[in-house]
Amino acid sequence: MRHSLRCVAGLCGLLVSFWASSARAQLCYPMAMSLHPVSAQTGQVSEHELNARYNLYGAYQVFVTGTGVTGEVVPSDAKPDEKTGKKPTLNKIKLKFTIAPDALPGPREVRVATPFGASTVVQLLVVRDPVQVERDPKEPNDQRDHAQEISLPATICGTIERAEDVDWYKFKVEAGTALSFVVQSARLQNKIHDLQEHSDPIITLRNASGTTLAQADNELFADPYLRYKFEQAGEYFLEIRDARYKGNADWRYSIEINSRPHLTQLHPVAVTPGAEAQVQMVGFQLPASLMNQFKIPMETPDGPMSVGLPMGDHVSNPVPVYASTLPAGLETEGDNNTPATAQPITAPLGISGRIESESDIDYYVFEAKKGEVFGIEVVARRLQSQLDSLLRITNDTGGAHAENDDGRYGRLTHSDSRIEAWTAPADGKFYIEIRDLHLRGGPEFVYFLRVIQPQPDFSLLMDSDKTILSPGTNGTIFVRIERRQGFESDVQLTVDGLPPGVTATAGRILAGANDGCIVLQAAPDAKLAASNITVTGTAMLPAVEGQPVVSLARIAQPLQELYFPGGGRGHWPVETHCVSVAEPLDLLSVKLSTNDLVLKPGEAQKVDVTIIRSPGYTQNITLDVIYRHLGQNFGDSLPKGVTLDEKDSQTLLQAGATTGTIVLRAAADAPPVDKQLVSVMANISVNFVMKTTYSAEPLTVTVSKP
Amino acid sequence: MRMRWCLARLLQCGAVCWMAVSTAFGVEFDVLPPRVELTESLARAQLIVQQAESNPDLKTHAPDLTSTAQFVSADPNLVTVSPTGQLLALANGQTKITVTVGEVTKEVEVVISGVAPEHRVRFGEHVIPVLAKAGCNLGACHASQHGKGGFTLSVFGFDPAADRAAIVRDRQQRRVNFIEPAQSLILLKPTMSIPHGGSRRLDKNSVDYQFLLQWIEQGAPGPDPQEATVTAVEVYPAHRVGQPGFTQQLRVVATYSTGATRDVTHWAKFDSMDDSVLSVTPTGVVTARGQGQGPVMVRYEGQAAISMVVVPYAGTADLTHWQELNFIDQHAAAKFRELGITPSAICDDATFLRRAYLDAIGTLPTTAEATAFLDSTDPAKRQKLVDRLLGQTGDPTQDIYNDQYAAFWTIKWSDLIRTNSSDLNEQGMWSLHNWIKSSFQQNKPFDQFVRELVTAKGSIFSNGPANYFRLANNPSDLAETTAQLFLGVRLQCAKCHHHPFEKYGQEDYYAFAAFFARVGNKGSQEFGVFGGEQVVIVRNGGEVAHPRTGKKMEPTPLDGPPIDDPLDRRIGLAKWLTAPDNKLFAKNIVNRYMGYLLGRGLVEPIDDLRATNPPSNPALLDALADDFIKSGYNLKHLVRTIMSSRLYQQASEPTASNASDRRFYSYYRVKRVAAEPLLDAVDFAAGTQTKFRSVPLGTRAIELPDAEYPDYFLTTFAKPKRASVCECERSPDENLAQALHTLNGDILAGKIAAGNGRIAGLLAAKKPHEEIVHELYLVTLSRRATAAEIEASQKFLATSPSPKEFYEDLLWALMNSKHFLFVH
Repeated sequence: MRHSLRCVAGLCGLLVSFWASSARAQLCYPMAMSLHPVSAQTGQVSEHELNARYNLYGAYQVFVTGTGVTGEVVPSDAKPDEKTGKKPTLNKIKLKFTIAPDALPGPREVRVATPFGASTVVQLLVVRDPVQVERDPKEPNDQRDHAQEISLPATICGTIERAEDVDWYKFKVEAGTALSFVVQSARLQNKIHDLQEHSDPIITLRNASGTTLAQADNELFADPYLRYKFEQAGEYFLEIRDARYKGNADWRYSIEINSRPHLTQLHPVAVTPGAEAQVQMVGFQLPASLMNQFKIPMETPDGPMSVGLPMGDHVSNPVPVYASTLPAGLETEGDNNTPATAQPITAPLGISGRIESESDIDYYVFEAKKGEVFGIEVVARRLQSQLDSLLRITNDTGGAHAENDDGRYGRLTHSDSRIEAWTAPADGKFYIEIRDLHLRGGPEFVYFLRVIQPQPDFSLLMDSDKTILSPGTNGTIFVRIERRQGFESDVQLTVDGLPPGVTATAGRILAGANDGCIVLQAAPDAKLAASNITVTGTAMLPAVEGQPVVSLARIAQPLQELYFPGGGRGHWPVETHCVSVAEPLDLLSVKLSTNDLVLKPGEAQKVDVTIIRSPGYTQNITLDVIYRHLGQNFGDSLPKGVTLDEKDSQTLLQAGATTGTIVLRAAADAPPVDKQLVSVMANISVNFVMKTTYSAEPLTVTVSKP
Repeated sequence: MRMRWCLARLLQCGAVCWMAVSTAFGVEFDVLPPRVELTESLARAQLIVQQAESNPDLKTHAPDLTSTAQFVSADPNLVTVSPTGQLLALANGQTKITVTVGEVTKEVEVVISGVAPEHRVRFGEHVIPVLAKAGCNLGACHASQHGKGGFTLSVFGFDPAADRAAIVRDRQQRRVNFIEPAQSLILLKPTMSIPHGGSRRLDKNSVDYQFLLQWIEQGAPGPDPQEATVTAVEVYPAHRVGQPGFTQQLRVVATYSTGATRDVTHWAKFDSMDDSVLSVTPTGVVTARGQGQGPVMVRYEGQAAISMVVVPYAGTADLTHWQELNFIDQHAAAKFRELGITPSAICDDATFLRRAYLDAIGTLPTTAEATAFLDSTDPAKRQKLVDRLLGQTGDPTQDIYNDQYAAFWTIKWSDLIRTNSSDLNEQGMWSLHNWIKSSFQQNKPFDQFVRELVTAKGSIFSNGPANYFRLANNPSDLAETTAQLFLGVRLQCAKCHHHPFEKYGQEDYYAFAAFFARVGNKGSQEFGVFGGEQVVIVRNGGEVAHPRTGKKMEPTPLDGPPIDDPLDRRIGLAKWLTAPDNKLFAKNIVNRYMGYLLGRGLVEPIDDLRATNPPSNPALLDALADDFIKSGYNLKHLVRTIMSSRLYQQASEPTASNASDRRFYSYYRVKRVAAEPLLDAVDFAAGTQTKFRSVPLGTRAIELPDAEYPDYFLTTFAKPKRASVCECERSPDENLAQALHTLNGDILAGKIAAGNGRIAGLLAAKKPHEEIVHELYLVTLSRRATAAEIEASQKFLATSPSPKEFYEDLLWALMNSKHFLFVH
């Protein structure tokens, strides 16, 4: 089944009390909110508190992404009520993380599996320096006089727990010490399902008299990054607060303070897997020689990643690079600031460059034949570059053929620029122009320019990050396609990594359609289990003259569902989709009168739906074949021309009703299709804004030829 | 210096005596201009006869003899001359005008050309000035919104085509009679040949009448785009010093776009800017009526200039005790001498201490700081205090007031820039506030501050100044805001018509607005999907069009050639704005700071710098601006310079001789403490804290980032809502509500009686009476109580129901004293 959001605008404020009173039957997965402390040190085993909405009782497994970090649930003393057998409700549990000494620092996604299903994700930050946790709020550190003493190097972990909260820390340094203060807080909140306002931390460094020495706000997106050299020995104060003096018990922060070199960028920023990369380091407290070299594994897939560089006796902080198998190029050291001095390039090519100074513009020139198609993309902000790129393709006379400021990536708009498919209007020379939108420049304005001649391709988005099943029930995963460069074929979905007791019927995304679905089935005797799955879409590209048919496989990107203010649905990319088998929930099964529906064009047919409810569960159920929310479709695998006849369907099952009907109608001009997988869903309102979605057994819909 | 001044005064007296004697025999004089060229039919020119003065320092004192001179034209057929010295060209040729004063006679050569029967009267060059001089196109007459009597003209003739249509075409052409031009309504009405609601505006025998008549006779031609336009006017003399009752004929010369010049005295408009000092006739004759300094505003065809009239208060100024600590004092003293004003004495240490703390950091000194200063015998302690407050000692350990300095001055600039969460939402408001505060913490050069603001781009959350473009989000608002904030120029009038008191018209307005035509914004998800971040960007296109002509305006600074930058037009604007040769930029700031620190700007209002609103001491304004530029636009240097001057240390008590001075800083102008530092001062004195919305307890009022807080005290004491860039939005005035609030309000009473307050603490510590009284005086007035005050307090204590009640009453009385509520 699936859980999602449903809204009655304006009533959000009532949720907490409503949940408390209505939680009897409408069971819900735990929404993980935060970890405290949010950081864990490499080479250490540490305990952390996981905070969540809904019940964490019985959590039995911890999932952590990446390598080098494992987690386990610390057993709780809480037990079911001896008389009623009612299970306790735990909003907080302890987790224990073991961090390998060589684990790569940086954020990891964490979720737990519980009897109510897998939780949503939170992030754990792996750090190098000892974690020093903010004092208990009973001993507040919210004034300078009560500043908490820390010893350096340190990773301070605390919480901006309420409005107007200010946390003070103090430390001693020797004259000449230079420290970097790297805060992670807001960035760790992007994937939290139900945190509708995020922190905007600001840090201030003061001397012993309280005078401000330096302040940092939004250096790394919404998080501060401060560098400071202390001319005089003594005691200093660090203050952290929300820039607006807002607060939230789940606004955790981590401040890494040390005097080691801190890298912010590398140039060139792109590296070829398996090849030795020679890079110039950009950052703070760097050694005299800025050059360094390293290698990433040959099998590294193309895309952004973080690396730690050898820095003598230690490895650097993680710094973003782009792994690229494109032929590698580097911006010329000479002047390429005008079309006349543009650097010649030939596609395909990946060029690492940098907007060196204010108002710098980089030009590249390439030859094209009329009708040739090029894809041009700047990767910068995704690599933590300061560059907010503006990309243009111009001709000899400076006339613009195409321009892009912000590219759309999945469901997010990003500051990086992308011209996905540009067709040369004539034979000739064309220029690629890159500059900072705000005319800034400097060492930290690195970029990677991808110039390709794109082929038909696609990418897949998986909605959402988890599917929860109870024994004998079914759930649905919808997969949405983004087609590129004329790609029109069917895509067959497959799923790997299912937990024991779970099987899948994987559908396809029809040519010209946007969505396909996978129906997961938990065996009636399935035990509690959870695992991360991989959904792959495979397509056969039509044969081009003289060339064989090509098979193209793409892995779907899971999306964390975000709860929007007002009850809307948002998404944020995450690394995993977790399928879990929970304990029996509100519905025990959803059955159909048929599992194969054949429609003639212009014909309508009815499918009877029979529900088995949990004993005593009488709340309303709504039936649907489209995954929708607030008027927006998030999943619709119906064949073209086939619609749900809402007038003739009986989709609202009230007062304990257990039967309903779905009527599907094929339009007179509906094209033929064979056995398209459709999910008949039974939705249960958990509260004003959320619903739990179960699926019936797989239903295939065939539209016959007229 | 002083010797030179005495000699000058001696020479002046000598000259006056000599004049008195020599008048009977005839006085030496100069005629201006010494040679006149009249270049068209009915051209006119004004002669000025000025007593000769060889001492350049006394040139401005030379009496005007125009009214007593006799003028005779050698050939009245070529040129006539009026008894007031106005020439009128009648025919081409060359002749002389004889000017006689007493027994002295001089000749002025006059050359007349361009006089021809076919002389064309031009609408813009002749008709509009006639209508303007007659007052027809004033806002109160036919240039009012709906005109008068169905006849509507544009304000000051800014729309000549529309004016010509109104005269010649409207109402079935009833206003002109081409068959009998003299019967045209446009002539009959102003001459009162038929009834006219606006009374007689034109004499039938006047030259102006002839211009209108000839124009109609010539078919009433419309404005010619090729006509020369006026680019500047100059008035002679520009500066005149004399005794009450003196008169002075003014002469006005216009410079045209062709480079030609023309005497336009007859068409210029003259207005006294200070009726207590002078009056002026429509023909430009000034009469000094009182003592002081006042300008005559002269306007012609959209251009304006002033002539400054000075009437000294006394013959001499006593500067015996005056010290010239820096150049400010030199220029101030020069003005005192010119006006015969004797400055007040230097203020006492306690007054200076309190003044310096409140002015520099908006904070009262602690008892320890106050007693240390008061007890110090260091002769340089005032300078050292200023340096310490501003962090200018060179010793970082003494730099302990920087945050308070930054907080206090952030209020001022947040008011002007209009930082507020209503327009910016909380995050934008904080971002802008933090940037301003950080700029003051770093003592960022002011030119850099302005460049960063005017060219700001990027995230409104991460780049504070980008919010400037959300507070004003269209080219017009941005042009007006930028001009007023950083040039002290109020462009608003020029949006619809030519500025009445400035040289700027619609062309200037929209060309300036064009700098901002391409500013836009975009959304961003860099702060997450909930972030709502906006990013200010520069678009590739976007223009500003002249609303009347539709012409695409080139981005052009005020008084400069067009400037463009292919990447961002604002770059050129920022460079021009902050260039050292754009002295108006520096003048605007130094004038504001003079106003902030001395209670009055050299120009008032302090954000209204224009040619027709001259400074009270132009030399001082120039010198301050030059010094500010030389310092690299260093605001702390500016504040230090002003606070280090003797002028800043004036006592606030006027003397009998300078009491009538309101403009020349002869005594320190008492200022009401502004809302935020006053509330902080109350809390400091009472030993309490005020809790403000959305900031933690302990946050001081001067640290508040937002415009509006639900705080009755701040509202009553006029904390502004930041709706306007005008300095006037923060009213400096005292009013009854404020007095009633401090006298009877429960906020003050509650703080004084607070259980954790100062009085409670002093009583709990069982401090001796005298110590308590001294402390209460120190925390309110920054001085110890006098012996008399101690003695009186003992008497009151003895009669009070309880010591607590007495000390609370004493603190209440001190807080309600003028010396607490005002900066003296």
